[in-house]
Amino acid sequence: MSKIDSVLIIGGSGFLGLHLIQQFFDINPKPDIHIFDVRDLPEKLSKQFTFNVDDIKFHKGDLTSPDDMENAINESKANVVVHCASPMHGQNPDIYDIVNVKGTRNVIDMCKKCGVNILVYTSSAGVIFNGQDVHNADETWPIPEVPMDAYNETKAIAEDMVLKANDPSSDFYTVALRPAGIFGPGDRQLVPGLRQVAKLGQSKFQIGDNNNLFDWTYAGNVADAHVLAAQKLLDPKTRTAVSGETFFITNDTPTYFWALARTVWKADGHIDKHVIVLKRPVAICAGYLSEWVSKMLGKEPGLTPFRVKIVCAYRYHNIAKAKKLLGYTPRVGIEEGINKTLAWMDEGL
Amino acid sequence: MGKLLQLALHPVEMKAALKLKFCRTPLFSIYDQSTSPYLLHCFELLNLTSRSFAAVIRELHPELRNCVTLFYLILRALDTIEDDMSIEHDLKIDLLRHFHEKLLLTKWSFDGNAPDVKDRAVLTDFESILIEFHKLKPEYQEVIKEITEKMGNGMADYILDENYNLNGLQTVHDYDVYCHYVAGLVGDGLTRLIVIAKFANESLYSNEQLYESMGLFLQKTNIIRDYNEDLVDGRSFWPKEIWSQYAPQLKDFMKPENEQLGLDCINHLVLNALSHVIDVLTYLAGIHEQSTFQFCAIPQVMAIATLALVFNNREVLHGNVKIRKGTTCYLILKSRTLRGCVEIFDYYLRDIKSKLAVQDPNFLKLNIQISKIEQFMEEMYQDKLPPNVKPNETPIFLKVKERSRYDDELVPTQQEEEYKFNMVLSIILSVLLGFYYIYTLHRA
Repeated sequence: MSKIDSVLIIGGSGFLGLHLIQQFFDINPKPDIHIFDVRDLPEKLSKQFTFNVDDIKFHKGDLTSPDDMENAINESKANVVVHCASPMHGQNPDIYDIVNVKGTRNVIDMCKKCGVNILVYTSSAGVIFNGQDVHNADETWPIPEVPMDAYNETKAIAEDMVLKANDPSSDFYTVALRPAGIFGPGDRQLVPGLRQVAKLGQSKFQIGDNNNLFDWTYAGNVADAHVLAAQKLLDPKTRTAVSGETFFITNDTPTYFWALARTVWKADGHIDKHVIVLKRPVAICAGYLSEWVSKMLGKEPGLTPFRVKIVCAYRYHNIAKAKKLLGYTPRVGIEEGINKTLAWMDEGL
Repeated sequence: MGKLLQLALHPVEMKAALKLKFCRTPLFSIYDQSTSPYLLHCFELLNLTSRSFAAVIRELHPELRNCVTLFYLILRALDTIEDDMSIEHDLKIDLLRHFHEKLLLTKWSFDGNAPDVKDRAVLTDFESILIEFHKLKPEYQEVIKEITEKMGNGMADYILDENYNLNGLQTVHDYDVYCHYVAGLVGDGLTRLIVIAKFANESLYSNEQLYESMGLFLQKTNIIRDYNEDLVDGRSFWPKEIWSQYAPQLKDFMKPENEQLGLDCINHLVLNALSHVIDVLTYLAGIHEQSTFQFCAIPQVMAIATLALVFNNREVLHGNVKIRKGTTCYLILKSRTLRGCVEIFDYYLRDIKSKLAVQDPNFLKLNIQISKIEQFMEEMYQDKLPPNVKPNETPIFLKVKERSRYDDELVPTQQEEEYKFNMVLSIILSVLLGFYYIYTLHRA
């Protein structure tokens, strides 16, 4: 076989999932598209999604349930499974273990049981990050022994499980993609978060010296990488080089953290006349203070040492491997991506 | 006194100026071999036409010094014909198109420039140049002749180009083509000379984009900087494709009410020029003879310093801007190693970034371009890897690794200069202290 007959997108109702539906829908010839998630597709979709909802088959179920997963795989007759289900950052560690580790173990086991050929897993560029600067990292950088948080730890464990499951002798091929800083229509963290910062009048503060390079990736490009990975794994000529591998996926245009933030604010019509710069050590102290005061008041702190470290760290990547082996190039640039995201937000869905 | 005050206000530059003048030993000198009177005269002509550039050429390795000197003078002669408005049109075209043929002669000179033309001596005394030209190795002669032919034809074509003369450069592509004829060809010729001399790997010449960028980066920097001067002279080199986004006419930027638009346009042109930086760094990494490296590196670091100076600088629209003499001295000393060059580029790129306003129409594009260069610099050295991660042996990494061997050879020289400077400084301070001590004793 050399084409995608049917694809099952686990987590297909989510932010990245919708972009995956779109990218798979645009393939010629179009595969059958099935979604497995705990919740239905959103009732109202952004105008930017052009796929036909009626063509998408939905399977409701629990990711950790073998029966639910087996039924979905069998009904979809999928030869390709994409697993992009993941809780958002900032939640209870237990949820990460259940979804990212137990859930992924279940996906792998059921794929093998049902004779699925291809599994593409959405990992995270964060798996190699533990607070230290990441300068132009490629896939040879190691997973840190001490993880930064539960999210990154469980993503790394899941990634490892997926790659170890790669088994050409039983016609089962796996790959893990590590996108960095995903944003786009449907994003409820990155761009909306920045917009909120401006509304609260906090955009006049700059934490750190704005010399740290940061990678953002437009969601449509991430989805495109998944399609490419699946196609490479289906092709006997390319699957050997690609299977069992990880790939960083970015927009290939890292830039300074606050330049990205200010581009969002500018596109929103917001430009600060004067910027107050807080150096990293000062900001970390302020973070501890903020955390302490918020705890006293029983509120969620806006500034934390964790966030300061995130904002001040270099985190950019070398995607030569994805370009060479997957044939990946980012089709939507950062500025265009930001404008698309703001347009989606203005739809008020 | 202005210069001394300027230096005093910038101690790092003051130190560099003193070191350059008193502590540094030139790599080579024009007196290190028997020098004919004609060759000496050529060096005089070189000094006459470009004192600062002459200083760099004079220190080139003997293998290249004479032919680069002659190459420079021959192109300057071509320029002098092209620039002179008093020369009759048909004669000028004929001279430009056939100038390369003059190089085959043993006797030829030209006395047709107007008396006030600054570099006319290059043409009236062309005989000295011809005598020395024929002493060069045949392969060097061939390169110079070929470039002279291409450049002469290019100049003639522009003179005859009615659209260009009426409307100036239209597209960014036109801009690149113009810079190719004025400066890219020089990079072409110099690269071939360097490769023939075996001072760089042959691959330096196989990638046309690299040596083309060396020329274009310098030329574009000058074009951006010289906006006011060129306009006053009735010329313009900014491409319409860019400036027309900001004003209906190029001269509109001189008006106070259009100043911000002028700045946005300057910044847009700087963005365009920065697209050559990665090629420039790649080219420099490929040179392994020290005097040749310095010869190529010095103009490039001057250019990035100038770009940082013109960026978002209203003075460009109203007059002349120039980097300080002290800065020049500092850059000359620091750019003797590839690492030093990279640090200079990094410094000035950050300077540009710090001056970049969010309102700038190319705010994100400029940030991304600067970031891309920074990412490339990281790939060159890869010295921020975590433990146990081996560097990616990419072509540029290997080139830099090789070049680093030559950089390391320079360390003792730099240390000796530092030692000399500190020694002299100590002696001077001791003498002053001695006088002060005697003075206080005397008072008591």
